[in-house]
Amino acid sequence: MQPVSIPAGRQPDREDERALVAALRRGEEAAFVELVERYGASLLRLARTFVRDRAVAEEVVQETWLAVLNGIDRFEGRSSLKTWIFQILSNRARTRAVRERRSAPFSALAGDGEDDEAAVDADRFRPAGDRWVGSWAAAPSDWSHVPEERLLGRETLERVSEAIQALPPRQAEVLVLRDVEGWEPEEVCAALGITDGNQRILLHRARSKVRAALERYFAEGVAP
Amino acid sequence: MSGDVEHVTCHELVEAVTDYLEDALEPGMRAAIARHIVICSDCSQYVEQMRSTIDLLGRLAAEQPGGPQNEKLLGMFREWQAGRSRSS
Repeated sequence: MQPVSIPAGRQPDREDERALVAALRRGEEAAFVELVERYGASLLRLARTFVRDRAVAEEVVQETWLAVLNGIDRFEGRSSLKTWIFQILSNRARTRAVRERRSAPFSALAGDGEDDEAAVDADRFRPAGDRWVGSWAAAPSDWSHVPEERLLGRETLERVSEAIQALPPRQAEVLVLRDVEGWEPEEVCAALGITDGNQRILLHRARSKVRAALERYFAEGVAP
Repeated sequence: MSGDVEHVTCHELVEAVTDYLEDALEPGMRAAIARHIVICSDCSQYVEQMRSTIDLLGRLAAEQPGGPQNEKLLGMFREWQAGRSRSS
């Protein structure tokens, strides 16, 4: 039976969080259950952007909840409880991802994407010296021919997941929190310790890559 | 004075699209992009694809609900709780 979940994207109510923290400190199980129901699914989804293996991701989430419990007395409330929980998850997932990568034969993960990245390959546009410099040379393909069942279907969503997993970690994190989990920009900035401008750049790069992956996917099997 | 942006290229639009959708552009630039989208069907398509991409991302959460870990977590909680009462 699926628990009724409160959308994790909604900004937390400070009073509500204070009450939850107090209840946890008193050892109340209902408070813990509430938190798990509220954030558990999001935590798992975020963990899986760092560590592909579902079992490993579940371990990371479990460790996170334990760290939350062990740290609850020390939690000062300077950030929101939600932010704090997700920061713990993020740190653990990254650490675990590094460990998993070391034991893997190939590292599929890209670097942090510090280098200059174009949203779309420059060769898709007319070059300098051309009369219409900057215009599309190879236009975006047309998705309107894709039937809706395919557009919104399971396989498409799997491709989206794969595209996310191929992203550099920081881009993946911003994209998942913003577009999958529905967090507000301010919350993402607070959780990740980045500026709004930074957040938008990472979001831009991530979204551009996912769109590009979808473009390739929808172009598959289309007669030339 | 900062001049009004009269014209953006497709390439510029593609790089500015996130700022545009996030409403983070200066009014002049935002207007230039909006005008460009009206007259350029390729870019109009691109922006729609961005919107579709964002829409699909939003659907992932429903596709991937959390796991049945709750039993384990409850067990973990009760252990923690027991340890806590013992030491208080």
